[in-house]
Amino acid sequence: MNVDVFVDAKGLACPMPIVKAKKAVDAMESGQIMQVESTDKGSVNDFQSWVRANHHELLKMEEDAGVYRIFVRKG
Amino acid sequence: MSAKAIQAKDLHEKMEQGIFLLDVRNPEDYADWKIEGKKVRSINIPYFDFLDENEEIYRPLPADEEIVVICAKGGSAQMVADMLVEKGYEASYLEQGMNEWSQFYHPVTVMEDDALKLIQVNRLAKGCLSYMVISGEEALVVDPGRHIEEYLTLAQKEDIAIKYVLDTHLHADHISGGRELAQKSGAVYYISSGEMQGSDRPYEPLEKQGLLQVGSAEVKILAVPTPGHTPGSVSVLVNDQYLLSGDTIFVGGLGRPDLGGKAAEWAQALYDTVFTTIASLRDDVLVLPTHYADLSEISEAGYIGAQLGEIRRNNEVMRTVDRELFTEKVAHSVGATPPNYEEIVEVNRGTLEVTAEKATELEIGPNRCALHHG
Repeated sequence: MNVDVFVDAKGLACPMPIVKAKKAVDAMESGQIMQVESTDKGSVNDFQSWVRANHHELLKMEEDAGVYRIFVRKG
Repeated sequence: MSAKAIQAKDLHEKMEQGIFLLDVRNPEDYADWKIEGKKVRSINIPYFDFLDENEEIYRPLPADEEIVVICAKGGSAQMVADMLVEKGYEASYLEQGMNEWSQFYHPVTVMEDDALKLIQVNRLAKGCLSYMVISGEEALVVDPGRHIEEYLTLAQKEDIAIKYVLDTHLHADHISGGRELAQKSGAVYYISSGEMQGSDRPYEPLEKQGLLQVGSAEVKILAVPTPGHTPGSVSVLVNDQYLLSGDTIFVGGLGRPDLGGKAAEWAQALYDTVFTTIASLRDDVLVLPTHYADLSEISEAGYIGAQLGEIRRNNEVMRTVDRELFTEKVAHSVGATPPNYEEIVEVNRGTLEVTAEKATELEIGPNRCALHHG
């Protein structure tokens, strides 16, 4: 997957992963792809709701040794 | 200026007075489990909605009263509360969110006379109730939650020694503090042996214990086998007047018989309990259960309990004498199972050890042990 913007939110607690992702998305063009990495399990659910509420597209989510990788296409 | 953090105890006091809550978790989480109270108004706006510069979303918020912001662990509630204060609202936030709320216990005295004092300890977030039966300088604790310091503090305040601790059954929706509390306070721990098969933990078999003596001779505690929710469920009858019914009988109905995978079989046992064992108890016996599922179950006096006669009158299933129909009713209307109940049962039986953090995680969410029949 071609990632346009990478957001490192590892080690950050809620609400910071979404706050950082939101800032990054605001600066992106529609159709671009963002990759977020978070270690906050609670933020994974929040990402799903946030993406849906803002009409972006959740492309993929994967977990690897406690790191959640979330791929979002800006709507 | 930043918003003030409050603790669960402060929040509960505000709830008694009437309070407006802004829950900033996911809509799914809010729908599943939220803080409720008779004088609580609450709305749900996810915290990420506040990241947009959109004045519209502030519209439902009252400008002339305090708003307490709630989230899962406190972080996003603090952010939103700060934003509200910035905009001129009077806002505070629950410091550690639902995590903290799920561990809050509130004791209420049900009755008190010269010989006996009965305290109901309400863990509001879970709808879990436990009891301290006090007489003289001694006490019995029934169905304690995992946060045993609550009971040790209460014992100190009441200036009594905990002599017995018992679990009415092996709980499926919360982790018992029974064995640990007994250890810490030097008390005897009772549970029915039918519930502890496969466990190597020490306990005294409750079913063999007809009468427990607490304090003065006037307090009589009778262990009444009331199978149905689980095969080994036991209720406790205090002075022939107060039935600590565990998960067998609730203010709003009967215990669910399905958590062991034998719903029909256990429903039969529940039938016998209702129409044989409990049938002989008077209508004016006060039923004090281990759970409640709805705020309407809280009495005027602030505790959860109802006279047996009232429960019989209000619940059709309590009057369904037809065995088949009864079984059908209780076995087929059970709803969602408590989250993580299989693991919780294992922890309570002593066949699984978990850290305190894992225990908190397992217990998150509302209680789902009380059945409601229309």
